[in-house]
Amino acid sequence: MSPFVRFSRGMLSALGVLAVSFGPTGAGAQAPPGRHVKASLVAETDAVRPGQTLTVGIRLDMEKGWHIYWRNPGDSGLPTRAKWELPAGFAAGEIRWPYPIRFTTGPLVSFGYEHDVLLPVEIRVPAALVATEVRIAARVDWLECQEACLPGRADVSLALPVRATSAPGSQAALFAEARRRLPRKDPSWRFSASSASGRLTLVVRPPRGTALREAYFYPVAPRLLDHAQPQLLTHEGGASRLALARDPNGAPADRLAGVLVAGTGVGAVAIEVDVPLVSGPARTSLKQERNP
Amino acid sequence: MKRLASVAVALAVLAALGAVPAHAVAVVGQPAPAFTLTDSHGKAHSLADFKGKVVVLEWWNHECPFVGKHYGSGNMQKLQKEWTAKGVVWITVSSSAPGKQGHVDGAKADALMKEMAGASTAVLLDHDGKVGKAYGAKTTPHMFVIDAKGTVVYAGGIDDKPSTDQADIATAKNYVSAALAEVTAGKAVTTATSQPYGCGVKYAE
Repeated sequence: MSPFVRFSRGMLSALGVLAVSFGPTGAGAQAPPGRHVKASLVAETDAVRPGQTLTVGIRLDMEKGWHIYWRNPGDSGLPTRAKWELPAGFAAGEIRWPYPIRFTTGPLVSFGYEHDVLLPVEIRVPAALVATEVRIAARVDWLECQEACLPGRADVSLALPVRATSAPGSQAALFAEARRRLPRKDPSWRFSASSASGRLTLVVRPPRGTALREAYFYPVAPRLLDHAQPQLLTHEGGASRLALARDPNGAPADRLAGVLVAGTGVGAVAIEVDVPLVSGPARTSLKQERNP
Repeated sequence: MKRLASVAVALAVLAALGAVPAHAVAVVGQPAPAFTLTDSHGKAHSLADFKGKVVVLEWWNHECPFVGKHYGSGNMQKLQKEWTAKGVVWITVSSSAPGKQGHVDGAKADALMKEMAGASTAVLLDHDGKVGKAYGAKTTPHMFVIDAKGTVVYAGGIDDKPSTDQADIATAKNYVSAALAEVTAGKAVTTATSQPYGCGVKYAE
């Protein structure tokens, strides 16, 4: 066991949180390492239960004016990545991405986060866990940009006691906030998408009683849309149409996948979209949808 | 009728936003946008001057860590040497606006290229960003290959490992090299587009 873990065990058990150490920049040392974002690893609960799915979060705190990127960074940038170092039998899932905001610089648009963000990751804990404490660690790589960009990297870790029961940890509120910003699957929102001559149309039918006044679609695939083009929202009956411009050098696609953010600020909702992309003009009438 | 009206309104709004065919961009399979730019020695070059030759356009910002990856490792210079020796015209373009990261005048561009042993045919200065925008250049680097007839045959990243880490170069598939090998052999380019990766081009706001 490392001296660090021994030293901090009491504190960690209490907090469920651990500090960060900035690692070397490795083979990419040609660029000065980023220093404007701090990374740490936090857990949602105060203990690890054998057989559970534990949620941890990579927390990134950015200096004012700096930002990092979403899973699709948009016109430039790189998504944050994590390489896990876990006890035997543990398995980490993919990063879950809260919906991003847009950064516009001249003719370029990118997607990411400013101020701070928590990126939740689910970790499967083996049922046959024999330990009193476990250490979860990750090497986190990101690209931090103000106007100029710097690669950032940190080795973060967290130690948690193993117990039969667990309670919300001191950082549980952060997870609640991150979950509020995670796109959700919601069958009461209906979508269809079509493609014709370089333009895509996302047809949105919100739940009854929901007016779609403002909407933005963030595509998961980096090479589907011309990110800098405005997305125009129009309405017809109970349906809304979001006109999207295709990346003229984009990859062929047979689905439209991403996140629709409806509304702005605290009232915003983020809904997962993943629908087939049909060739031809968009269909908006409900009758057509019922009889495809 | 209602639908037609809403389409008409949408088009009018798009036109007002200046968003209808904003695509003077370099699209694979279509003629490369014409340009004339001054190089680091003050000499003007037009794309038309290179007709009959394969041309590479490389967007460059020496202060960008992604560019640093490919120059710091010698990867970019190696490609420039290899392909210019085979008769390819390799144009390095700087679209960093005055006051922005990577902005260079001719003397600075020359000094940097000398220091790094750069081997491109010319460094062209695009201070107002017109050519960068005409091509839809988004990142440094962002790479384009134009065939001898003036058709865009490749647009995208330099390779398939979007990172700032030099160690990734050894295992990356270099799309520009692959495209040049095919186009100079008279073959169709297998991977004609990819995701450009890097820093955003530092255009004037």
